Amino acid sequence: MTDTIAAGVQPTAPDEVGEARSLGQDAWRALKKNKLFWASVVLIVLFVLMAIWPSLFTNQDPTYGDISRVRQRPSAEHWFGTDGQGYDIYSRTIYGARASIIVGICTSIATLLVGGVIGIIAGFYGGWVDAVVSRITDIFFAIPLLLGGILFMASFPNDANTPYFVIVGKVVLTLTIFGWPSIARLMRSSVLQVKPNEYVLAARALGASPWRIIRSHILPNALAPAIVVATINLGAYIVAEATLSFLGIGLTPPAISWGVAISDALVAIRTYPHILLFPSLFLSLAVLAFIMLGDAVRDAFDPKSR
Amino acid sequence: MRGTTRKVAVAGISAAALVLAGCGGGGNDGENTDAAAKTGGDITVRGCNPENPLVAGNTSETCGGNVLDVITAKLVKYNVDTAQPEMDIAEKIETTDNQNFTVTLKKGYKFHDGTEVKAKNFVDAWNYTAYGPNAQVSSYFFEPIEGYADLQSEDPDGEEGPQKAPEPKAKEMTGLKVVDDYSFTIKTAEKVANLPIRLGYTAFAPQPDAFFADPKTFGDKPIAAGPYKVDNWTKNAEIKLSKFADYSGEKKGVADTITFKIYQDANAAYADVLAGQLDLTDEIPASAQVDEKYKQDLPDRNIQKPVGVIQTITTAPTKVDPNYGPEIRKAISMAIDRQGIIDAVFNGTREPATGWVSPVVDGYKKDVCGEFCTFDAAKAKEQLAKAGGFKGGKITLSYNADASHKEWTEATCNSIKNALGVECVATPVVDFSTFRTQIRDRKMKGMFRTGWQMDYPSIENFLTPIYATGASSNDGDYANPAFDAKLKEAAAATDTAESNKLYQEAEQMLANDMASIPLWYSTTTAGWSERVTNVKITPFGVPDYASISLK
Repeated sequence: MTDTIAAGVQPTAPDEVGEARSLGQDAWRALKKNKLFWASVVLIVLFVLMAIWPSLFTNQDPTYGDISRVRQRPSAEHWFGTDGQGYDIYSRTIYGARASIIVGICTSIATLLVGGVIGIIAGFYGGWVDAVVSRITDIFFAIPLLLGGILFMASFPNDANTPYFVIVGKVVLTLTIFGWPSIARLMRSSVLQVKPNEYVLAARALGASPWRIIRSHILPNALAPAIVVATINLGAYIVAEATLSFLGIGLTPPAISWGVAISDALVAIRTYPHILLFPSLFLSLAVLAFIMLGDAVRDAFDPKSR
Repeated sequence: MRGTTRKVAVAGISAAALVLAGCGGGGNDGENTDAAAKTGGDITVRGCNPENPLVAGNTSETCGGNVLDVITAKLVKYNVDTAQPEMDIAEKIETTDNQNFTVTLKKGYKFHDGTEVKAKNFVDAWNYTAYGPNAQVSSYFFEPIEGYADLQSEDPDGEEGPQKAPEPKAKEMTGLKVVDDYSFTIKTAEKVANLPIRLGYTAFAPQPDAFFADPKTFGDKPIAAGPYKVDNWTKNAEIKLSKFADYSGEKKGVADTITFKIYQDANAAYADVLAGQLDLTDEIPASAQVDEKYKQDLPDRNIQKPVGVIQTITTAPTKVDPNYGPEIRKAISMAIDRQGIIDAVFNGTREPATGWVSPVVDGYKKDVCGEFCTFDAAKAKEQLAKAGGFKGGKITLSYNADASHKEWTEATCNSIKNALGVECVATPVVDFSTFRTQIRDRKMKGMFRTGWQMDYPSIENFLTPIYATGASSNDGDYANPAFDAKLKEAAAATDTAESNKLYQEAEQMLANDMASIPLWYSTTTAGWSERVTNVKITPFGVPDYASISLK
């Protein structure tokens, strides 16, 4: 449906002769030309590979600690040196990507789903539904992400026998609970923008069901800003995870995570800063990659910025 | 509470200890002489928030203990240098049978309020502390005195229940009798070889009449008989002490005033010492200990000294967890690279343990544990195979996560894992009280960390309270009738050397059963500013505040 409308609007665009393109296709063409986009994609692919298949990058066991080789400086054997427990920092950093990437991606998808559904309901139905849902959103919006996260994680602490995916799941759940309102607000306002459009009115006049209108007309046209914000937020969630882990309440050992590594490295900051440097560097790069991607996607989806 | 829940703090050391000071990893860079010392002036030292009001019988943590230490005087004091217990308020303490003691006091010893220290000040204070309903934390120190049990009563439905504990049978211990103003007698329930040594602990300090008039508010501005008196205590900020002009003891204070500035964080105190805002910190933060950075930061202004603390690993009692028998414990003990962990995690500020008794006390014997406390991965593996292998799946080593135990437990576990090939997990328990509750209720499985800071400098204090059958701190339920009999025999010996020898024989029995796994002896590290000199540390890890002087 969108296709026909888009085609109907743009047949005379001066520089684009030929087949009709959807908003998505349009954005893709713009993205392809964006160097920033490719840089971030390369980084993200690398990090995702690390998360899925860390042994591709290192053959060292990140859990093998040997106290006879603590706090070594970077060398051919240990590229990033070793930390205070004699762990190889390079392999710890590679294996640490998994937690951050899982938390970032899962939280983004979860907030997009929860926030998206709530935003559409509020925006589409309006009236008292909107009033109730918006107030609930406001309540959650008023709780700072990090404060809420600390409260939640401190109330449900992990112990050594908690399985890895439960620990990670808890962090994702926490960040989702306190992260969805921004997406919901955005979704609501963008639904409100799309709703008065003629094609929506036409569909309604033809007797389409609300579900069909949302699925075929509203969602495809209102989703773009939410996706953009979710992508940018992904970086923010990785930072939030690292912060919680740094404080000792997010991911807890034996789970390997950049936040935990940074926290452990603080003791040696004055004497062996390299222990702190490498996990921080990877964390920054990962966050940077996702934020750059978000930026590129926003530029592509927002025709006004072109 | 964080990190300061060490038991007690007083001065004391034995001659044997100082011989060993040389092994204390790192030595003393900042040995001072009295040459540059000067009397008077004001100094500031690191303090922390006392848990309770400053009452001698109700303080068992270091924050309040450090202050009480310098404001109180006891029957006996421990010499900071030569380490022997010396008479302070007591003129003499006599006994012929280790059970009946006669204490004679010096005449004219004064409290801060000008009243004289008399025999009843001791007897009343001790009865007050021991009396169950007063709920004083140091009550258990009076356990050996005859009639102690009659001052206690059991709450029929526990502390939480609605019923109140019945009134104890008696208010005064039958073992304490005032003879006249300057002498009293102590009778113990059983023979005690080292009672005079114990009497230097803060819990045995006398209390003035003012205390009994109003024990509740007394602790905010306590009155005692020590070289300094409390001027002012601003809660959460500082405790100000000044020199007691009429101090009756021999070793008077040097500085005019000592201010304990209260810090929450060792890093902040350390930074203030570096900046010259604070004169002394008795806690060097971990970040400054890496590679002994503090020695560069504070050249010639730091000291390291062994203290009467031993760290051990105890295994859960057999009925709780059957996987850690004596032979398995030996294998685990041999798998721990003590020196390696000390160098890597503690930067050499510990000393590997070779027995169950701290080297700072009288009666210490070297190498009691022998090869079982020496790291040898191959032998450890052999020993494990001989013991039939480990059947519990993975070894766990629990610790309380509210103090800095994560690093060494993790390193210890890695050492065990690498040597024995058995998975070992360092398991955090949220805080100290939860941790201790699980141990006390015998719910903790696997291995867990245990530490012991001596109450008084005697070999006995490292054996009886921890390994005697049913003893208060016997967390692993170690029970050995021959060991118990030996302890009794040692307590009855009137000759100190003879008694120490018997205690050493008892300690040897611990080695045969590997009652617990000794890890290392602690040292205390302190640093000071350019303004002060003459800083000494007692074997309890407390600076000798009274002797600090300005340059």
